[in-house]
Amino acid sequence: MQSFFIKIFLWFWLLIVVVSGTLVVSAGVIRSRSSDHERWNQLYSFLVELRGRRTAQLLDRDGKTAAQEYIDSLERVDTGNYKENKNSLRDYLFDEHGQEAMGQKVSPQIREILSQMNRYSLGQPHLFQQERIAAEKIVGLSGQPYTFVMPIPEPPIFDQIYSFFSNDVGREGIIYLAAVLIVAGIFCFWLARNITSPINLLRLAARRIANEHLEARVDERVLVRRDELAELGMDFNRMAERIDALIHAQRRFLADVSHQLRSPLTRLNLALGLARQGATGEAAEHLDRIELETERVNKLIGQLLTLARVESGVDLEKKKVFDLGVLVQGVASDGNYEARSRNCGVEFRHTSELVVEGAFEMLRGAVENVVRNAVRYTAVGTNVEIVIDRAVAQSGSKALIRVRDHGPGVPETDLAYLFLPFHRGSDGVRKMSNGSGLGLAIAERAFQLHGGRVTAANAPDGGLIVTLELPIIDRSEEAAKIVLSLAHSS
Amino acid sequence: MTNWELENRKQQSYKRNKISMKKPNKLLTRRILVVDDDEELCHLLSQYLLKEGFTVQAVHTGVSGVERALSGEHAVVILDVMLPDIKGFEVLRRIRAQSRIPVLMLTARGDDQDRILGLQMGADDYLPKPFNPRELSARVEAVLRRSIPDLTEVRAGPDEEMIDADIELLNGARVVRRAGKEVDLTAVEFDLLKKFMKSAGVILSREEMVRTVLGRDFSPFDRSMDTHVSNLRKKLGPRSDGSDRIKGVRGIGYIYVLSSHSRGGKK
Repeated sequence: MQSFFIKIFLWFWLLIVVVSGTLVVSAGVIRSRSSDHERWNQLYSFLVELRGRRTAQLLDRDGKTAAQEYIDSLERVDTGNYKENKNSLRDYLFDEHGQEAMGQKVSPQIREILSQMNRYSLGQPHLFQQERIAAEKIVGLSGQPYTFVMPIPEPPIFDQIYSFFSNDVGREGIIYLAAVLIVAGIFCFWLARNITSPINLLRLAARRIANEHLEARVDERVLVRRDELAELGMDFNRMAERIDALIHAQRRFLADVSHQLRSPLTRLNLALGLARQGATGEAAEHLDRIELETERVNKLIGQLLTLARVESGVDLEKKKVFDLGVLVQGVASDGNYEARSRNCGVEFRHTSELVVEGAFEMLRGAVENVVRNAVRYTAVGTNVEIVIDRAVAQSGSKALIRVRDHGPGVPETDLAYLFLPFHRGSDGVRKMSNGSGLGLAIAERAFQLHGGRVTAANAPDGGLIVTLELPIIDRSEEAAKIVLSLAHSS
Repeated sequence: MTNWELENRKQQSYKRNKISMKKPNKLLTRRILVVDDDEELCHLLSQYLLKEGFTVQAVHTGVSGVERALSGEHAVVILDVMLPDIKGFEVLRRIRAQSRIPVLMLTARGDDQDRILGLQMGADDYLPKPFNPRELSARVEAVLRRSIPDLTEVRAGPDEEMIDADIELLNGARVVRRAGKEVDLTAVEFDLLKKFMKSAGVILSREEMVRTVLGRDFSPFDRSMDTHVSNLRKKLGPRSDGSDRIKGVRGIGYIYVLSSHSRGGKK
């Protein structure tokens, strides 16, 4: 993923190249235009004299019509040559009295030029840059003075561009551009690297932390930059430290609570054991009761710790790829063993392979809780049925484990609360006489942590169906994962 | 078998005999070392186990636990995973580096990883804490039953030797070799392999394995047998042709698959 780098690099490079290119071209155009105009002016200084003399000659020798024809032909040629020109390109010849020799209509602008021409001497072409008009006083064949006035057409654009690239200024411009291209390329590459490399390092640290490497911190190279990214890096590190500390504190707390609770209970159990050694009659009966209750507390503590452990997600670090059917088969056969004491059974047929990824022990414990719960509630002489299946959803394939018992079921209103810790049915049917009330909660959290979910529904012909969903690894993905895990382990 | 190996084995049995001769056999085999930092608990445990016919020595730190466990004065060690100085697993590792004395670990309830790790590192059994003391003394008895025949068999002399392809099991010396190299097995793993090789080609149910190898009643959802089998599998590795020696039979148990050219049985 280098797209950010490439984007920054290309954009800046392009920007610099375009800006400098525009500068070079416009500077060139301005320079070439001024030099162009010089050439143009020279050309028209020459042209105005040539055309003026010729017109005067024709007028004096052949009369007005010939001169008019000549001027008309000149206009046609000019208009044809300089199509971009918007102004009239008609030339005028004035006699010494300021009268147009051929009787053409004269615009005030030309008149103005004519009046200014009085200041100039004979045979001196003059260019009015502003008005783009050339004029010269000419002597006719018969010796009388004339004033010839001709508009200067705009040089054609194509000529301008052509002349730009063909002249020295244009060639220089191309060299400038090439130099800018290379220098800007190097600079932009460095700039893009400078911006994206710390971002990559930040991303690396974030990814490591997301993968439970809580000790990961942002690389030193980011922190020494003394800019916003360095500050981001430092803030990131502070955040990571905080998370690290919190999670460690939570784990320590878990261990501490476990230790603190189990120690007095163990002593209680031992004292009870001592009391039982040699106890007889009624006392033994009471001690049996105490033992039963302490065993319940033992189980409760065990499940509380399991729930805390599942929620902390520590076991997710030990994910592996396995066939869900094997897991369910193991739980089912144990469940079957347990169910035998109640003259019940657990039915499960392992069919196709369903490959999932997850913390095996955590998921096994979760499935075990659901199956044992079903075994506890199924009516005497009935079987708990377990089916695994594959369902295709939009978000990918899912594995479904359906555990169905033939017990009293759960009131519809209570179904939603079935997975809450210590939930008891409103009518008390599903009293947790043996369980702690945490088994289903543990199962739900465990599957949620694996991206799955747990739902419950009453079967139409009685009994509860608990459905456990887990994402399936697709064949191709699974192969890649296995290759990856092999690469890691070797 | 080379002379050196014979000599080595003689010395081993001699050593064990010497220890058992120094102290009355009964006392040694009923003497328990408890490593737990909870002094009150140790006191109660001593009282309880005394009535069950054991003598108990209790230490409260990991370091002294290692030292006492290696003294050879005890028949079994009860080791808590949470200790103030060094972790229970480290204590177990240090004991296992030098001794095969049976170790029963007390793990935290709700912590499967502790159980798996403990059994992998060579603990003979585990019990989640808080435990029922009757369960504890039953487990201790079971662990002891497994380790005593070992001593008597050594004294009895004749070696039972089982061979399956590259695996060689010497019952008397409690040694297992794969392709001539000794495989370091825990007491349970050794008994498990012996059971497997004795009933090679026959499916063993998990119930039967728990009863005969761990010497206690099977309780469903107790995965310690599976952990032992998985550890044994890992230690033995696959056959030279890449196939599994021990295969799981879904819903029932395990089977030790005989290689086509094995001799098996007594020699």
